[in-house]
Amino acid sequence: METALHKAIELIFSGSALLEDIVWVTVRMSLASSLTALLIGVPFGVLFGSGSFPGKRILVVINRTLMGLPPVVCGLLCYLMFCGVGPLRHLELLYTVTGMVIAQIILITPIVIGMMEPFVSGIYPDIRETARGMGISRIKTLGLLINESRYQIFSTYLMALSRALAEVGAVSMVGGAIAYKTNVMTTAIMNFTNMGNFTTALALGIILLAGSLVINAAVSLMQGRAETWC
Amino acid sequence: MVLRNLKKSYNGRCVLELDELSLEKGKIYAVIGANGSGKSTLAKLAAGVLGHDGGRTEKPDLSIGYMPQKSFAFRMSLRKNMLINGDDAQRAQELLGALKLGHLSEAKAKRLSGGETARMALARLLMRDYELLVLDEPSSAMDIESTLLAERLIRDYRDRTGCAVLIVTHSINQAERIADEVLFLSEGRLIERGSPEKLIKHSENEITRRFIEFYSK
Ligand SMILES: Nc1ncnc2c1ncn2[C@@H]1O[C@H](COP(=O)(O)OP(=O)(O)OP(=O)(O)O)[C@@H](O)[C@H]1O
Ligand SMILES: [Mg+2]
Repeated sequence: METALHKAIELIFSGSALLEDIVWVTVRMSLASSLTALLIGVPFGVLFGSGSFPGKRILVVINRTLMGLPPVVCGLLCYLMFCGVGPLRHLELLYTVTGMVIAQIILITPIVIGMMEPFVSGIYPDIRETARGMGISRIKTLGLLINESRYQIFSTYLMALSRALAEVGAVSMVGGAIAYKTNVMTTAIMNFTNMGNFTTALALGIILLAGSLVINAAVSLMQGRAETWC
Repeated sequence: MVLRNLKKSYNGRCVLELDELSLEKGKIYAVIGANGSGKSTLAKLAAGVLGHDGGRTEKPDLSIGYMPQKSFAFRMSLRKNMLINGDDAQRAQELLGALKLGHLSEAKAKRLSGGETARMALARLLMRDYELLVLDEPSSAMDIESTLLAERLIRDYRDRTGCAVLIVTHSINQAERIADEVLFLSEGRLIERGSPEKLIKHSENEITRRFIEFYSK
């Protein structure tokens, strides 16, 4: 075990082309899916948290349900859409990074909305009353609301990113874990473990954990700032 | 100016029922009444920040400034909070100074104490000239000195702009100091209105007398 760990660390710093490619695909996929999920999810979160329109409560309930969507179910649905007999087959998304990104967007966007909506609905009534009381335009009030939410948006993003990095079920079904193409860290760990190549699996695990550590440290720093710095 | 149809009910319970409220430009009106008597509801309806039910409140077309009972500080410096409501940096500094917040203009507004936040919120509202000013317990979190400074600021603002001021207060003393006319609310109804002298000292209304007597103990 100790030597495996030793070898894994050696491997990380050895500049293996395969490892580098896996990390690169992972970073690309995670950044693309988390950023897109943020761009879609934040406006909806703000809308659900501050707007009042018929059907809002139902949409919030649907979103909460989607937050709990099992990744493999999402993977299955995407697979059925993208596969040779699926309705979206002509887009040729199966076994591509784009297909994986789409599956992750479906998984992560509800989480972004679900983190923004309660926050916004908590602060919006006071902001609205204060801004209206001064006679400030709606558009400027929206600007103030978003400014007030900036730490929440940032920590929501980091949450989305760490979900994207750690997710395995959907991306392995849609991406197929093809080496030098769609193999990301989580799917590679699964494959290398199945092949008995524990050193490489462990090396990837360490990198993944280190990334997660950095993200969580940033989140905690952010929360500290939001509380004390304001 | 006349405001009509100031009515609001929650779940079928009527918390304010007022057919009309006439106010004169250049005058300060104090609204007094017990907790839950509908003062804030009146302020919100007059300011137009509360959704109406059934009968819509009719207001003359005026610019109205409203300060909620709970002051809100935006997540930025005091100076930037002030500039949300106008762009005259010098006026912002003068207003902050008038409420003894001048030295805090670069401080984070979220870190202010309750009374300081209320002072900032009042100063921020006065950045702009309104024709009607509605203040919901502006000084309930302030100490005596700040309360007197705030009253002077409100009076000066009124003198300069000629606006009407509706100020909700729990302090009979404040009503006497600042108001040209006092309005007494009880259970959502306007029981009596009149000069401070008449309403506070010589009211002929039984409910008003009991309320004032209780408060001056
Ligand atoms: N959103 C609401 N839903 C239900 N009831 C409400 C709501 N807002 C106010 N009320 C009720 O309306 C009544 C009047 O409230 P209002 O805030 O106008 O009182 P107030 O005179 O300002 O009291 P206070 O002196 O405590 O500020 C209260 O009984 C309150 O419970
Ligand atoms: Mg009130």
